[in-house]
Amino acid sequence: MSAGGRFRFVGVRVGRKDGVLKATGRATYAYDVWLPGMLYGRILKSPYAHAEVRVDATEAERLGAVVLTPRDVPDVLFNPRLVSVEEDTFKDWRVLTEHPRYVGEPVAAVAAASEEAAQRALEAIKLEPVRVYKPLLDPFEATRPGSPAIHERIMRGGAWVNVEDNVACTLEYSEGDVDRALSEADVVVERRFHTNRRYHLQPEPKVAVSRPDPDGGVTVWTTTQTIHNTKILISQVFGIPQSKVRVKKVFLGGGFGSSIHTNLVTLVAVALSRKARRPVKIALTREEDMMHDHVSFEMYLRIRAGARRNGRLSGAEFENVMDVGAHQIQPYPLLGTALGWFVSLYKWRAIRYFGRAVYTNKVPSCALRGYGNPQVTWAVETVVDELAEELGVDPVEFRLKNYVGKGDLFWGQGPTVKSIIRSDGVPELMRRGAELIGWRNRPRPGEQTGRYRRGIGVARGFHTSGAGGPLSGSVIDYSGAFLKVNEDGSVDYVTALQDHGGGTLDAHAKIIAEELCIPLEKVNVVWSDSSTTVYDVCTHASRGVYVGGEAARRAAREVKRKILEYAVRILNVAVGPEALRVRYDEELGDAVIYVEGSDAQTTLSEVARTAWQRNWGSISASVSFRATAAPPSFTAYFVEVEVDTETGRVRPVRVVAGADIGKVINPELAEGQVQGGFVMGWGWAVLEDTPYNPETGALENMGFITDYKAPTAGDIPPIEDFRVIFADTYEPTGPFGAKGIGEAASNPVAAAVANAIYDAIGIRFYELPITPERILRALRERERASGENPPRRRGVA
Amino acid sequence: MTEPRVIRFRLNGEWVQLGVAPNELLINVLRERLHLTGTKYWCGIGECGGCTVLLDGEPVLSCLTLAVDVDGREITTIEGLATGEDDLTPLQRAFIEEGAIQCGFCTPGFILTAQALLRENPNPTEEEIREYVRGNLCRCTGYVNIVRAIKRAASEAAKSRRPGPAAGAASG
Repeated sequence: MSAGGRFRFVGVRVGRKDGVLKATGRATYAYDVWLPGMLYGRILKSPYAHAEVRVDATEAERLGAVVLTPRDVPDVLFNPRLVSVEEDTFKDWRVLTEHPRYVGEPVAAVAAASEEAAQRALEAIKLEPVRVYKPLLDPFEATRPGSPAIHERIMRGGAWVNVEDNVACTLEYSEGDVDRALSEADVVVERRFHTNRRYHLQPEPKVAVSRPDPDGGVTVWTTTQTIHNTKILISQVFGIPQSKVRVKKVFLGGGFGSSIHTNLVTLVAVALSRKARRPVKIALTREEDMMHDHVSFEMYLRIRAGARRNGRLSGAEFENVMDVGAHQIQPYPLLGTALGWFVSLYKWRAIRYFGRAVYTNKVPSCALRGYGNPQVTWAVETVVDELAEELGVDPVEFRLKNYVGKGDLFWGQGPTVKSIIRSDGVPELMRRGAELIGWRNRPRPGEQTGRYRRGIGVARGFHTSGAGGPLSGSVIDYSGAFLKVNEDGSVDYVTALQDHGGGTLDAHAKIIAEELCIPLEKVNVVWSDSSTTVYDVCTHASRGVYVGGEAARRAAREVKRKILEYAVRILNVAVGPEALRVRYDEELGDAVIYVEGSDAQTTLSEVARTAWQRNWGSISASVSFRATAAPPSFTAYFVEVEVDTETGRVRPVRVVAGADIGKVINPELAEGQVQGGFVMGWGWAVLEDTPYNPETGALENMGFITDYKAPTAGDIPPIEDFRVIFADTYEPTGPFGAKGIGEAASNPVAAAVANAIYDAIGIRFYELPITPERILRALRERERASGENPPRRRGVA
Repeated sequence: MTEPRVIRFRLNGEWVQLGVAPNELLINVLRERLHLTGTKYWCGIGECGGCTVLLDGEPVLSCLTLAVDVDGREITTIEGLATGEDDLTPLQRAFIEEGAIQCGFCTPGFILTAQALLRENPNPTEEEIREYVRGNLCRCTGYVNIVRAIKRAASEAAKSRRPGPAAGAASG
């Protein structure tokens, strides 16, 4: 409990609770699960980008393998992501299909006693192409009339809808008179942007172990960010009651959005295990994970924005065409959040939005840390930089004058999730960051000569803390917590919420310890499953601490109320529970419950023991909590880069990463989130992409990490030049004042890096990643175009 | 050709003996047959460092090492460093306390690689640390706290090697 506003556990540096398990190799991930009698499964993936095929598995069966063909799985159409309400969920997936629509789509599967035997059986399956279509790899080509239909009809909720011109879904929105605003603007900038198609490269490749149970149900261990939605989808596809689907919580080797939805590997493992009547494990290889599973949304953005000479934005048009790949992992809510990211960055005053998600014959796209926010922020923060320059205003001041902050209506998660901003550290972060990086003395574009040129860029961003709001909306967002006091006064905390590694559950343990005034080591976080926990939607949208942590806090408060009721009986002097106070006694390692101005006192362990010995019953609470806001966590990054004009390589020289996450609950882990978010964002900005072969529709890098080019320890600035600063804010709706962090940490990185590159060499890039090849090409083009005297500014589309 | 061959090697201090196929990889022997799952599979083709183990003290990628090649030699996996809170190595402790662990999937590989580094070079510069661990991928931490943890373990080891007033003052 806080004494005089000070916290005992919240905000204190302490090694993470699962640190010993992880540092000693004893943490069990789904990839590590092994069951007696377990078979190994392999999935046959389509070599065709779009075809109708016939599967002949006779030979594989002759080899003794358990074989699954499209005819052996339920004929159910589904969407693997269950975060939206049913009527806004678009269904076009099957467990296995004879009509694969991307290279890598599962067509059949086998299980055998060893992975080697399974692979041999897999290779014995014959795949006969009945009809092969020309792959559509470009969303603009896909929407051209006459292009082959990737899907003819799909389901929205329970109703069939026809797909026209390969358009998966659309969203349009407008507010105010944009045409008038832009015609009256003093400066107007219009730019088109194209993002890369990023791969999560979560450390643990997707894996599932399914055990058929004698009651007709299944027990499943899998890489997931949501055990409850996995349970629900398995139940819906296989028609098993949810009470017989037990999804176990295991450590997750990184998520980053790759397992918000239930991966096909899980459903295939369930189907195989039910047919084999034995446990089956399917562990994807890295190549399969990268080539065949999924990547982030590739976006084509157009922004036309205007500002007045008084330094205020006046209006903007925003167009967003997303290449979603061959199936929908809910791009529909992303059309809404992309708009949400756009309108919640700045006060545009008038906007018009056109969003369109288009099918192509590529690996399906899903959320990846930020859910479109890093892409949109890159585009917006580039345009904002250009507008400031056109107006001759300092880019930091321009941003401060126009950003959406305290007291403003905020709807980051899209038009159905709105609330008012109550905490805002943006001015503090911008001012301190500018000072620390030396913003005023930064080099100016075109000023430098020589091989190495340095530049400083700024960008700001935000992410929501969850997707809650006062209205129910189209997003499902609530958490649960169950807390019980053991008979010695220690507590067990049971939650479905998954911790991907960011320290979410450490934050919950601290919140519970703070509320109950007990030492952190007395809070046990239980490894649970979907049967023994109340519903939690998913660990995504940076909601783990803000929403899940508040559920934990409410459960702790409820438990505390019961503790005090029992304490009244023991103390026998206080008039009622409200007369009691609680403090943490470090020496006793216990909560001391006392009456002010009296000697009467007892401890939590005494209360727990007495309740047990006198048959008073257990002290416990179960809570289900929906947040009525999704407050923004703000980030503001200043980055200094050095561009090598001979090789085109960019390196980060200095970083000042500022974050407003409300009260910081886990200081060292929150810092780690910011550092990790920066480095991941750095990869998206200058390194990572997944290009496709235009003829075959196959991924060019063949699943090699080396060719994907994720950042290594050699790509980061020296420790002392990487500053993380936190704003001194308190979010009144959050647990002990906290907000989220995971996604805000990477959202503004590409924009800050791109702005810094512009500052260094005077060239803007509108395509990600900004690779050495692109930089060299742009430098050469500029030289060719202007000889000795390069122009001050130049854009490259 | 696929006749199993009996191999005997010292694993985390104890001799083990088992029959392996000539094409069997060390990572699979460790994970699938001996159930030592602290050695992690990320890529299986030598790109990420996640499956690093020590072979006679040198870091090797167990996904590129044939099991028959460790016959008669000594292998240390992450399970061989410590069993729990009480006997953590300085590196493990530094990783926990410096926030160098997030999802934990790269942690065993990083700790073993760093241990080999500190054996070769007890006082590495930050640049040398980065260079040495460049083959180990991490997707969560951004490497900052990992480099910091290795630096800290090195400087603590240096302090304990130089007992005297300075070390006494530092520990106070």
